[in-house]
Amino acid sequence: MPRTLLDIFPNPLIAVGIGITAVMTVLSVNTLFCIWFERKVSAWIQLRMGPMEVGFHGTMQTVADMVKLLGKQLVTPKGIDKPLYHLAPIVVFAPVVAAASLMPFSESVAITNTNIGLVLVFMFGGFASIGIFMGGWGSNNKYALLGAMRSVAQNISYEIPLILSSLSVVLLVGAMGREFAVDGGVIQANGMNLAHITGVQAQRGVWFLLLQPLAFIIFFIAVLAETNRAPFDIPEAESELIAGFHTEYSGMRFGLFFFAEFSNMFIGAMVATILFLGGWDGPVLPGPAWFFLKTYFLVFCMMWIRWTYPRLRFDQLMTFAWGILVPLSILNLLITAFLVKVF
Amino acid sequence: MGLLYEDAPAPERVVLRLTFAMTDYAQLVVYIVLGLALGAGALVVPALIAPRSKGRDTERTYECGVDTIGTAWMRFGVSFYLFALIFVAFEVDILYLFPVVLVFDDPAFGWRAFIEVAVFLVILSLAIVYAWRKGVIGWVK
Repeated sequence: MPRTLLDIFPNPLIAVGIGITAVMTVLSVNTLFCIWFERKVSAWIQLRMGPMEVGFHGTMQTVADMVKLLGKQLVTPKGIDKPLYHLAPIVVFAPVVAAASLMPFSESVAITNTNIGLVLVFMFGGFASIGIFMGGWGSNNKYALLGAMRSVAQNISYEIPLILSSLSVVLLVGAMGREFAVDGGVIQANGMNLAHITGVQAQRGVWFLLLQPLAFIIFFIAVLAETNRAPFDIPEAESELIAGFHTEYSGMRFGLFFFAEFSNMFIGAMVATILFLGGWDGPVLPGPAWFFLKTYFLVFCMMWIRWTYPRLRFDQLMTFAWGILVPLSILNLLITAFLVKVF
Repeated sequence: MGLLYEDAPAPERVVLRLTFAMTDYAQLVVYIVLGLALGAGALVVPALIAPRSKGRDTERTYECGVDTIGTAWMRFGVSFYLFALIFVAFEVDILYLFPVVLVFDDPAFGWRAFIEVAVFLVILSLAIVYAWRKGVIGWVK
C-alpha cells in the first residue's frame, strides 16, 4: 500500500496544499501537452507538420493559446438561464481535480487512498454529464441543447459497460489478492482500492489485460465514449451541431470545458492503466515513469483512433452500447464469476 | 475581535484537532471545493483583463446567419427519456453488484454465490431483451 499524503504530512493543511498543487500542475501540464500532442498526431497522420512556429516544433503553441484565451472577452448571450449557464463550466471542471487526486501513480506515495476508489472515480466522472447538460440547457440554443442531450444519453449508456467490465476486474482482485489485502490480521484493502488493484497485478506478476482482454476492450471503448472522443464525438459533431453543448461559451469558459475534456481523457487512460495494465508495475524504470508511460500510450491510442475512424451515427452509437457492449460485458462478468469459483 | 477570542486555542492546537477530523474522504471534499474555487478563479482573470465591447449582435443566440426562431426549451424525442429509464434500472442493479463482487470469493458462500449472481444477471439481461423487443434500442419511433 502506498503511503498517502496524510500519512507523510500529519498537518492536513500542508497535505492538502501539496496535493492540490501537485494535481493542478500535472493536470495543467497534461492539458498543454495533450493539445499540442493531439495537433501533432493529427498532423503526422495526415502528412502535415502541425504547429511549428512557437517554440521548438511548436511546443509553446498551447501556452500562447492559453494566454490568448485568458484575454478573450466572455460573451454572454441573451435569453440564457443565468445560474445554469455560469455554473456549468465550473461544475464540469471541479470533479476532475478530485478524480485525479485518487490515482495511485507510484508504489510508495499516493495523494489519497480509499477503499471505494473505483466507485469514486465513476462518481466524479458522472458529474461531467450534469455539467454538460447544465451548459447545454442553460445556453438556450438549439445546437447546444441537442449536443447536451446526445452527450448525456451517450454518457449514461456507456457508463453501464464501463462499470460492468471493471467489475470483473474487481472480482479477480478479490480472488487473487486476498492474502495481500490483510496486514496483521486486519483487512486493509478490498477489490475497489485502486492501489490494491495495481498491487495485486504487481505481486502476481500478471496484468489483467492478459486475464481480461474482452473487459479491457469494452472498457477502452466505453472510456472513448465517456470522454466524447471520436468516433463517439456525436455531442460535438462539428458538421451538424457547430460545437455541441459549448456552442455559446467563449474565452476562458470554453477553456474550462476543454481543460476538463483533456483531463477526463487523461483520467480515463489512468484508470485503464490501473485496472488492466498493471499501473506502476514494470522493470528497471521507477514506478511513476511506467505509470505515465502506459497512460500516455493509451492517450496516444485514443488520438490515433480519433484520426483514423469516422464518426458513428447516433442510433448506431446507442445500439452498439445496449445491443453489443452491455450483453458482452454481462457475459464476461458471468464467465469471470464462474472461473473464479472453479479455480 | 481580540477580546472575544482570547480563550481560543493556539493555532497549533487547532491544526492538531483538524488532524483527527481529516481523512482521505474529507480530503476529497476539500479538493472538490478547491476545484470549484479554481474554476471560478480562472473566470475572474478574463473578467478583469478582457475587453468588453458590445455591438448590436454580440449577445444574440448563435445561429447560422439567421435569427433564432423561438426558444430552445421545447419538447424533444422520447427516445432519450426511455434510455434514461433503462439507465436508472441498470445503474441501481450495478450498485447492488459492487458489494457482491467484493465478497464473492469468500469460501463461506461457495457455489451459491455464483448461482445467485447468475440469476441476478439473467434477470437484468431480460431488461435489455424487453427494451430491444419494444424497439427502444434500435431507435425506432
